[in-house]
Amino acid sequence: MSPAPVLVVGGGPAGLAAAAHLAAVGHAVDLVELRPALGGAYHRRPIPGVTPRPIGAESETRWARLVAGIDHPAIRVRLRTGFLGIDGAGCALLDDRTAGRVEAARPAAVVVATGALERVRPRPGWELPGVTTAGGLQVMMKETGRIPEGRILLAGSGPLLVALAGQMIAAGRPPIAVVETGDPLRRPLAGFGLLPHPARLVEALGHLGRIVAAGVPWLRATALETIAAEGDALRVELRDRRERRRTLFADHVALHDGIRPNDRGFPEPSVSAADRPFVAHAGDCREVLGVAAAEIDGARVGAEVAAILAGTSTTASKALARLAAERRVQAVLTRLFAPAIPPTPIAALPRETVLCRCEGRSVGDLAELLDGSDAPGGREIKLSGRFAMGVCQGRFCAHWVAEAAATLRPEATAPTAGDLIGRRWPARPVSIDAVIASADRSDTSPSPER
Amino acid sequence: MSDVAFPSDLRVAVVGAGIVGVSTAWFLARAGVDVRIVEAHAPVAAATGAADGAVSVASKRPGPMMQAALAGIRLYRELAESGVLDGLYLTRSTFLVAADRAEATVLEGHAAALASVGVTVDPISAARLPIVAPALSDRARAAIEVRGEGHAIGYDIVRRLVHTGGLRIDRDRRVTGLRRAPSTGRLLGLDTDRGPVDADVVVIAAGGGSAALLGLGDVLRPRRGQLLVTERAPALARGLPGAIMSARYLLSKASATGGPPVSPRGYGLVIDPLRTGQFLVGGTRENDAERPVADLEAIAHVLADAVALVPGLADVRLLRSFAGLRTAVVDGLPLVGPVGSGDVRVATGFEGDGICLGPLMGRATADAILGRPSEIDLAPFDPARFTGRMAAA
Repeated sequence: MSPAPVLVVGGGPAGLAAAAHLAAVGHAVDLVELRPALGGAYHRRPIPGVTPRPIGAESETRWARLVAGIDHPAIRVRLRTGFLGIDGAGCALLDDRTAGRVEAARPAAVVVATGALERVRPRPGWELPGVTTAGGLQVMMKETGRIPEGRILLAGSGPLLVALAGQMIAAGRPPIAVVETGDPLRRPLAGFGLLPHPARLVEALGHLGRIVAAGVPWLRATALETIAAEGDALRVELRDRRERRRTLFADHVALHDGIRPNDRGFPEPSVSAADRPFVAHAGDCREVLGVAAAEIDGARVGAEVAAILAGTSTTASKALARLAAERRVQAVLTRLFAPAIPPTPIAALPRETVLCRCEGRSVGDLAELLDGSDAPGGREIKLSGRFAMGVCQGRFCAHWVAEAAATLRPEATAPTAGDLIGRRWPARPVSIDAVIASADRSDTSPSPER
Repeated sequence: MSDVAFPSDLRVAVVGAGIVGVSTAWFLARAGVDVRIVEAHAPVAAATGAADGAVSVASKRPGPMMQAALAGIRLYRELAESGVLDGLYLTRSTFLVAADRAEATVLEGHAAALASVGVTVDPISAARLPIVAPALSDRARAAIEVRGEGHAIGYDIVRRLVHTGGLRIDRDRRVTGLRRAPSTGRLLGLDTDRGPVDADVVVIAAGGGSAALLGLGDVLRPRRGQLLVTERAPALARGLPGAIMSARYLLSKASATGGPPVSPRGYGLVIDPLRTGQFLVGGTRENDAERPVADLEAIAHVLADAVALVPGLADVRLLRSFAGLRTAVVDGLPLVGPVGSGDVRVATGFEGDGICLGPLMGRATADAILGRPSEIDLAPFDPARFTGRMAAA
């Protein structure tokens, strides 16, 4: 009997490594990727006709290795195909955007390897046109080779801002400034933690060197407080550790406050080995440890899933040790970029500050909802407050709404972001035409022979 | 209030924070009664939170449910006008649409039945349909417009009533039984997994959870409804002047006679344009479904029917699917009234009519506790019709 197919969701390092491992031990694998090309966030490939930007020798080697791994007859790669979740009949739903049809599949297991999601703290004006996320800007650069016209300000916290600034400078379009709430240079001792990881250190120093050489102000221990539209530009108010304020004008503001697992709305990992489909999370969507760890974790989870399907067990001590080392790197980065100026608690933001950008729901709306004899729980905040109800399905606001609710009604059971988002399919909006086409079995092509 | 006909220290415990329980508590609290709600999970966790929100008589056959629906609509109108439900009750017509000759015939008879109880019903010819509802496909052969109907989102209504009534809800507190004095049998209140709750009167409005408390296992049964919500499509919504209900829905509602739905899925079709520009589309009426989770087959079926009537929906995206387990009574009529000696009352089993009838039955239950005359005849819903099948409460 040939082993049942495994569905791997996400064409980044974790997904590719998991697929390669599963195929190598004899499983048929469907590897689905929503984008038109594999790569994930880090190894995002340019669209046809665009020359890829160099990403460094270590990264090129990794990518070549990952691509070689999935060159296997048992792996079917399906691009432009999204995973919508598992329905009431136990089917994994796939949104095949090429065929324009939703499919109900019955895999033996699902490996969710959907990477990370940017954290962007709500601030007054963050919903304005011209405000984007730094990761979004980086993906646009990788895919199209383009950088939007005009003055670009990078703000928030984390190493991604430094890397993006370095890449923009290399492309001849430096940002007007990088605003950073942490103060990495004040914590040089923490930086020693990177010494065992020379490649990481060299990469970081390279970006920093470019920023210094290009004369781009790196405003550390500084918070971007508000954004407002003024004429055709964005007026940005900054505040530093010594309460000094300054105003900048930009055409685009790219925000970034770190990353978190992109597991929202997807089925939770299986607790029982008997679950079918057995669900596992791999890579950054399980724990944010970066691109190198994602490859290690993908292979580890691939082995784990193969063992569970075979009814055996696996030891992954080597992989776990390497993940622990990557975790130490992340801990160093977290210390380096620890906020030197505490962020304004969500509940303390001005009432009109938008929390949910899809539905335009504000801090004041949440405070009003939470005021009264009975404190609503997570699902009621979603339903009655219309938070996490919009097209993004709460991926950007749920975490902050949960944080603010806990502050506003400390005596009530604090809702979680998961309560707000829920785990109903579809995990992302899907064409009704494609849903209807799911019932149209007449032109369903049979699965390829394996 | 001074004209109280009940002991001034009367304590009432309501089991269940769906629309029926919360409405009951709201009317009691307004009369000055000390009332608390005990809820096993969270408010609107079950059917109220997964309802389509129809406040509608359009699909009812002549009989007590049609009368109740009319009274339910009147009460929503009053509560909206008095400000309590200000902004939450949307008045609009329901368009019953026939796609073939057989459905058109059913529709004619149905229009006459509605008109006979005073509902304003306007027939719309095939020629006028594209003017009245341009988003409808040319498969729609005839329609009737049922005027004066409404729409209310169950969880919004509950939230507003909790807020304006200053209601207290004991969340995550599961009722395990009724507490009575061993010697006299007098009701003392409730036993719960987090200790006893004192009460002189108990109202059980716990949907499917009511069965265990009353020993009603073979009288109540869950019936799953699957629904979906689309993204915003305001331009399309402008082409639909009200809720669109397929005349086939009348056929699917076989439960009025207590029989099983015509297909195992009990497919019907209602397309409701929401205030947000989104569409709420339903749904199914499924027996023997245990889990309130939507499945692709059912949602695809409902959407195919919806697109056949409103082709523009094909270009809109599905945002959410959801399912709820509605509590149905075997004979198709809800259970509202006293159980045994009257210190325990039940109000449940509304199946798909809970939003329409919740406030009405909440008021009727409160009135009965307060010794006030009820504005509607509860006799057809009296639980006594199942005497013998019900364990002594």
